[in-house]
Amino acid sequence: MMSAYLNTRVSLFSGRLWRDEEFDALVSVPDEAMADALTRRGLPQLAAGYDSLSARQQDARSLEQRIIAQILDETRVMLRPLSGSARNFLSFWTARFEISNVKTLLRSKMSDERPAAALARLIPMGAFGRLDNQELAHAEDVGELLRRLEAGPYAGIVRHARRAFEQSHDPFSLDAALDRGYYEGLTARAQPLEETVGAPFRSLMANFIDRINLVWLLRYRFNYKLPPAQVYYLLIGSRYSLSGKQLQQLAAQESLEAVLAALPAAWQARLSGATDIPGVFARMEYAAAEQALRVLHSSAPAIARTFAYLILRERDLRAVRAVLRGRHLGLAAADIRQALQRVPEVV
Amino acid sequence: MLRAEPLLKIQLMMLASEAQDAALSLARFGVFNPAACTLDTLAESPAAPYREAWLEAEARLSKLLEQCGDTGPLHLPEEAEAPALADLQELNSWLKGVWIACLSCHESEAQIEDARSHLDALEETLAKLERLNVDLAHLLRADSLLAVHIGSLPATGLQRVTEALAMTGYLVSRFDQVGEQVFAVIAGPRARHDEVQGLLAQAGWRELPVPDELRTHPQAARAWLEAERARMNAQSGAECRIMDGLREQFGPRLHEARLRLALARPLAEAALAGVRGKGGLAALSGWIPKRQLEALRGTLDAHFHGRYWLDLREPSAGEVAEVPSLVRYPGWLKPFIPLVKSYGVPRYGEFDPALPFAFTYLLLFGAMFGDVGHGAVILLLAAILVRRLGRMAWVGIAAGAVSMLFGVLYGSIFGYEGILSPLWLSPLHDPIRVLTLAVGFGVGFIVFTLLVNAYNKVVAGHVGEALFDSTGLAGLVFYLGAVGSVASLAGAMDLAQPAGILAGLGIVTIAAYKWFEAKAGLGERILVTAIETLETGINLFSNTLSFMRVAAFSLNHVALALAIFTLANGLDRAGHGLTLVLGNIVIIVLEGGIVAIQALRLMYYEGFSRFFSGDGTEFVPLRLSSQQARI
Repeated sequence: MMSAYLNTRVSLFSGRLWRDEEFDALVSVPDEAMADALTRRGLPQLAAGYDSLSARQQDARSLEQRIIAQILDETRVMLRPLSGSARNFLSFWTARFEISNVKTLLRSKMSDERPAAALARLIPMGAFGRLDNQELAHAEDVGELLRRLEAGPYAGIVRHARRAFEQSHDPFSLDAALDRGYYEGLTARAQPLEETVGAPFRSLMANFIDRINLVWLLRYRFNYKLPPAQVYYLLIGSRYSLSGKQLQQLAAQESLEAVLAALPAAWQARLSGATDIPGVFARMEYAAAEQALRVLHSSAPAIARTFAYLILRERDLRAVRAVLRGRHLGLAAADIRQALQRVPEVV
Repeated sequence: MLRAEPLLKIQLMMLASEAQDAALSLARFGVFNPAACTLDTLAESPAAPYREAWLEAEARLSKLLEQCGDTGPLHLPEEAEAPALADLQELNSWLKGVWIACLSCHESEAQIEDARSHLDALEETLAKLERLNVDLAHLLRADSLLAVHIGSLPATGLQRVTEALAMTGYLVSRFDQVGEQVFAVIAGPRARHDEVQGLLAQAGWRELPVPDELRTHPQAARAWLEAERARMNAQSGAECRIMDGLREQFGPRLHEARLRLALARPLAEAALAGVRGKGGLAALSGWIPKRQLEALRGTLDAHFHGRYWLDLREPSAGEVAEVPSLVRYPGWLKPFIPLVKSYGVPRYGEFDPALPFAFTYLLLFGAMFGDVGHGAVILLLAAILVRRLGRMAWVGIAAGAVSMLFGVLYGSIFGYEGILSPLWLSPLHDPIRVLTLAVGFGVGFIVFTLLVNAYNKVVAGHVGEALFDSTGLAGLVFYLGAVGSVASLAGAMDLAQPAGILAGLGIVTIAAYKWFEAKAGLGERILVTAIETLETGINLFSNTLSFMRVAAFSLNHVALALAIFTLANGLDRAGHGLTLVLGNIVIIVLEGGIVAIQALRLMYYEGFSRFFSGDGTEFVPLRLSSQQARI
């Protein structure tokens, strides 16, 4: 019964996904018609930012907050009929935004920023919020903040990050430990679903985690110049397409080209034409979106279709953000369209 | 008592430098509910920095007070003034300094605690280290080709670290686990030592401080451990003394800080709603009861001697939904208010259901649970628990008393029907009459709710709905006609024709209204009108029948008692007594609970839902105490 409800709900929501030409049209919508255009596309949270002149001048921060509020609104609707491991997974999926709040708070403490300024930058989590942001923002320094966080719902993730930070006092190690802790938690929550729901859900998780791992690997290895062993340690423990052994081999390569050449043949085909990390990311994201679209339009179990919808919706909203931010910055329509290129050229 | 007090929207303009004193005066005044300022000409937010400083200072103070324990009642002198922004910022800086001093002691304490548990773990692992068949002195030599580390890391990361270190030719040998920490030896080529440093830091690796004695004379290591412990204790004692010193040094001033922050609270709280200003001017907006206007002027004159401008107006029709509701209740009615508010707050101007709720709730409870004995037990229990239950105990006392009253009317005491003769009727012997009375009560109740709804709609300016909708007067006409028709059919009255005409008139009016209200195509309009009109009849019919449960529960009460007597009569004397006692407890707890919920359900769903949207805003005055503050 609940599954039928969720399936219907996801099917209805899937009508809100954007086609590429619709982004094109959004670039040229006049300011005064923007609120209406966004409402018609099922984005009331974003439309609210365009219903007055002062709101039209919203900054990137409030735009980001509205986009996430929209995602949380839709997730809340889909979470309603779920229980058990599916509910657990989807709830934790939204915790990404709260972990990002934790990072914002930590950075604000490192730069000795005023609590009010940090609070204004946080993403409003609504019913999904599990942290007392007021209390955390008023911690005096990073040490106090970490200890307070350790007494909260993300204790497991934060404890490890604190230890790493105490050893190195490097903000990078704090961020990396938080990210890794979060995604390890996500894969742990996905495992029972992969067993019960099967291939459709697993394929989505595999695309998602493999993409993160490959992009992190390239970034840590060639942008931050970290040694292979450390790079491997910082990746998410994976049971998907790129196994631990393969990740070790990839991390040991000396250049981006060598990493791409060492990938399995199917991956090489998927990434052909990529010459830099954003190119790799774009191609992998495109492949993940294609797979999510297949799952969404299949008769896969409701939770798999829900997850596929959320992946696609987030991708769409990132493109909407690019359009709105581009307009806000006064960029030429051609430049915005160039930035919107969602299908990699060689694919 | 039946509706909210008339309010006025005020805009109090004053010098920005006096805004904190104005907010303090309004908080002392006690009936000012801050609201957003709508003056477009005042574009600045002069109280925002004040609120920011206050929030920071308050957070620091509460953490400090947690350490000092100064949380007793606070006496605010009558003439005390609120601190200005500069004073507040200075106070905030001072509190920051004190808290940083405390925090460093606190952090040191935490680190000492951490080190202590590490030492404990080390002691446990020492024995194992001693048994390792290796020459530690040789292994740990700084100039050897092999880099060796002994230490701990979180157990969850061990496998990952092992795999990662293997990439650099390092080996990990685990030799102990204490809690979530794994103790291990890590060894590998010293030439690649730099490569693993970052990895180990990232993994939370903590090197064990292996004492020199352990390298050469393992048995001497325990002495080293003891010395380390003594050093920790000394450090901890020193930190405690520093904390005590801080408490002694700053205690009195912290109390003063508490006082000043309490005085600053009103402006910080009002800033949440939005204090606006421009240049040297600030404006506070909000709602006050109309009858308090002169008292407010008196308060402001006494403090500001004319250095203010008070602009006031009645709430406009468009903003009624945002106006808070302030209803004053007599003390005896207050225990029932949480039950009403758990459904919702009445909108400004709406009929307040608290008084009819209290009477009807008690009446329904008594009618469904009428028993002198059981009522007395509920009354006594509520009276005994009055301290624990607070005001809610009075609901129990009143329910018990009404239950006793109905017990006298029904002639029932602890389920016995033969001891008291009924003053009115016995549900068991006259069930049809009880059912008829329950439905009759339901009809009266629904008529009352339809009238109240019509009144609320008129107040809200929706005259059309009040006159023609299914929950307005047209619905009432239909309902009275339908009731008259059914009663005539049952032979209770002879008004079939006029009642039928009345019902027909009502339903046609409702259908016509639904037709005009439906903004859709012809097909959808026909469908909406037909379904909604049909729904009107079904709803009113089912709502009326819902009141049959009142009779059903009064019969159920007697039936339950009879079942217990039947069970008890089959047992010996001791069993008989025990069954009667346990049975009565079951009746009081189980049936009493069910009846309490059913009475509430009838009130909420057959009553409130008909006329009470419950989406009003509660009047929350600016106060000095933190309990009712909205920050």
